[in-house]
Amino acid sequence: MKPRVVRSESDEYLKAAGIVMVATVACLALRSRLASIDVVMILLLGVVAAAATHRRGPALVASLLSIAAFDLLFVPPYGTFNVFDTAYYLTFGVMLLVALTMSGLTSRIREQREAAAQRERHTSALYAMETDLAAAPDLEAVRTEASRHLGKLVGGRGWILLTDTPGDPNAPALPEEPVFDDAEVRVAAASAWTHQEPAGWGTPRGREVPVLFAPLLAGGATIGFAAVAPDDAEHDLPRADRETLSAMFALAAHAIERRQLAKVGEHARREIEAERLRTALLSSLSHDLRTPLAGIEGSASTLLDQTVTLGSAVQRELLESIIAESRRMTRLVGNLLDMVRVETGTLAVRKSWQPLEEPLGVALLRMEARLAEHPVTTRLPSDLPMVPIDELLIEQVFLNLLENAVRYTPPGTAITITAWPEAEGVTAEVADSGPGVRPGDEEAMFERFRRGPSASLGAADAGAGAGLGLTICRGIIRAHGGRIWIEPGSAGGTVIRFHLPGVNVPEGIPTVEAVTG
Amino acid sequence: MATPGPVALLIEDELPMRRFLRTALEGHGFQVVEAATAREGLSHAAARNPDVILLDLGLPDRDGREAIGDLRGVTRAPIIVISARGQEQEKVELLDRGADDYLTKPFGAAELLARIRVGLRHASRSPESLDEPVLLGGGIRVDAVRRQVFRDDDEVHLTPTEYKLLATLVRHAGRVLTHRQLLEQVWGTNYVKQTHYLRVYMAQLRHKLEHDATRPRVLLTEPGIGYRLLEREPP
Repeated sequence: MKPRVVRSESDEYLKAAGIVMVATVACLALRSRLASIDVVMILLLGVVAAAATHRRGPALVASLLSIAAFDLLFVPPYGTFNVFDTAYYLTFGVMLLVALTMSGLTSRIREQREAAAQRERHTSALYAMETDLAAAPDLEAVRTEASRHLGKLVGGRGWILLTDTPGDPNAPALPEEPVFDDAEVRVAAASAWTHQEPAGWGTPRGREVPVLFAPLLAGGATIGFAAVAPDDAEHDLPRADRETLSAMFALAAHAIERRQLAKVGEHARREIEAERLRTALLSSLSHDLRTPLAGIEGSASTLLDQTVTLGSAVQRELLESIIAESRRMTRLVGNLLDMVRVETGTLAVRKSWQPLEEPLGVALLRMEARLAEHPVTTRLPSDLPMVPIDELLIEQVFLNLLENAVRYTPPGTAITITAWPEAEGVTAEVADSGPGVRPGDEEAMFERFRRGPSASLGAADAGAGAGLGLTICRGIIRAHGGRIWIEPGSAGGTVIRFHLPGVNVPEGIPTVEAVTG
Repeated sequence: MATPGPVALLIEDELPMRRFLRTALEGHGFQVVEAATAREGLSHAAARNPDVILLDLGLPDRDGREAIGDLRGVTRAPIIVISARGQEQEKVELLDRGADDYLTKPFGAAELLARIRVGLRHASRSPESLDEPVLLGGGIRVDAVRRQVFRDDDEVHLTPTEYKLLATLVRHAGRVLTHRQLLEQVWGTNYVKQTHYLRVYMAQLRHKLEHDATRPRVLLTEPGIGYRLLEREPP
C-alpha cells in the first residue's frame, strides 16, 4: 500500500485554526504584560507555525484568522473589526505576506520531499523488475516476470502479449480471460495497436476502460502489448506511477527484444552449422564419388576400345576394378545417407531385443572379403544378455568400426571384437593393432569429415569413407541411448568401445537354461 | 535344338537394371520377358505363365503390396522382390504377403541366379519332401526320418523346439523366412510378435551347430527381415 501523501484537507484547516487559537489564547492570557507589538509577534509565530506545517490554503486561513483575532481582540476599538490606527493595516499586510511566503516555501520543500520519495519508489520498482528480467532464463520467464511487476505496480494484474513473430502486422490475440471479454476492452486494444500508443484505463483513449494497453516497441517494430488491469479501476494512477509504468513497458520490451535476438542468434548458429554440413557433404560428393566414377568409366571405356588388344588378365583386372569401385561408391553413398539421417535427426530406430552377435555376424560376413588380410577374433560370452537394438543400425556400427580398423592398420594385424555385460546392458569393443590414436585426439575422432592417416592402401583408398564412420556410429549409439568412446591409453592399437543400455528385460524371454533343459 | 529354358518375367522400370538382368539371365538359358510397369507385368504374368518373376519395388504405377496381390491372383510362380537397402519394413510385408525372396540393390549376377534357382527348386517340389538326409554346409547333416542332427558325424542333441525350428529352415533351405513366418510355423499364430523367442532359439541353434556362432555359415541372419538357411557353403 502506498503511503498517503495528501492528508485530509479539513483536518489541515482545523489544525491550522487550532494553532491560531493557541496563539490567541496565549496572547489573551499574557495580555497585561504584552505590548501590542509582542502580540503581533506571537500571532505571527502561530502563522509561521501553521504555514510551516501546512500547505498554502490552511496557512492562508491561519493568517486571516490571526488578523481577525488581532483586530478583534487587540486593536482598539476592541470587539469590532474597526481599526482606528491605519498603521495596523501594515501589520495585517505583513502577517498575510509572512503566511503566504512561509507556506510557499514549506509546500515547495514538501513537494520536493514527496518527489524524492516518488523517485525512490520509481527507481526501486524499476530496479527490481530489471533484476528479475535479467535473471529470467527464457522468453517465457521474461513474460511472467514482467507481467508480475506490472500487476504489482498498478495493484492488479499485468500481461505481456506478443505477436507470433517480431514484426507481425497482426495484433497478438488477447488471452481467454473474463477481463478481456468486453467490447470496450477490445476496442481499446485495437486502438492501442493501430495508433501505436497506450489506450484504455486512464488514457485519453478509453479512460473508463478497466484495462490499459500499451504497445511494446523493439527495434522500431511493435512486438506486442503490455496490458494492465488494476483491481480498482475507479482509482486513477498518480502521474509519477504512470511514468514508472511507461518505463516498465520499455524495460519489458527491451528484455523481450534481447531474448528474441538471442533466439535468432541460436537459429543463425544452427543455420551456419547446417550450411557447413551441406558444404562438407557437397565436397565429399564431388570428390569422393567422382573418383570411383572416374575409375569405372575409365575401365569400361578401355574395355570397349576396339583399337587396343587387351590380354584376358588385363580385361579381368579392369572388370574387377569396376566392381571394386562400384562397391566403394555403394559404401560411400550409404554413409552419406546415414550421415544426413543422423545429422537431421531423422534416423528411425526400430529396436527389438536380441543378442549382439546377430548384427555382428552379419557385419563380419559382409566384410569378409575386406577382412581377408586381418585375423579377426570374437570374444562374446554365450550368456551375453540381449539388448534392445535396431539390428540394421548396430550392424552399421560394426561395419564402420571394422572398416576403420581395416583402413588404418597395416595388413596382417589382428582385430579383436569383445563384448561383456555391464551396468544393465552390454559393452562391446572393436580393437585393432594399428598405430592407435594420439592421446588427446580421442574426442576429435568423432567429428565428421575427420580422417585418420590412412595406413594401409594409400591414395587409392583414401577418402573411401569420407571420415564419416565414427560420427555415424556415435549418432546411432546415441539414438539407442548409449555412448561410444575411444578407450584411451590402450597399449598399441585403437580400442573403440560402446555401451548399449538394456534395462527392463521383457517378460517371457526364455533363459538359456530353459532352452537347453 | 535344346528344350527352351525357363521363362523369367522382369518387372522393372529402369532400363539399365533391366539390361543387366536380361543379360545375366539369358546367359544362363532363361527366356526373358520384360515389363516396365506393374500393369504390363501383370498381363505378361497371365499370358506367358512365367517360371519366376523378378519384381522391382518402386514401380511408377503400383505400390509393391498391390503388385504382389495382383500377381498372386494369376500365378504361383516364385516372386523375387528387388529393392534398396533401408526398405526392410516393406520387404517384410511383401514376403509375408506372398513374395518368395528378395534381393537388395546392388547385387551381383551370382547372387541373382542363386536366388532364382532356389525359387525354381521350391516351386517344383512340395516343401515337405524331407525323406532323405539333407547335407548342409559346415558339416551339418539333418536326418528328418530319424529326427537326428549331426555335425561332423557327431550327433547334436536338440530340444524339440530347436529341432522344429531347424526343420522349418531346412524345408525352405536357401529361402529367406521372415520372423513372422518362422514364429507362426514353429510356435503358432499366437506367437508371431514374440521375436525374442525366435532370437534366443536361433542363438542356441547356432551355438550348437555353427563352428563360430558369431560368424555363422549356415544359419544366416537377414537383418531386419528374418533368417535364411544356406544349403552349402558358398564356393
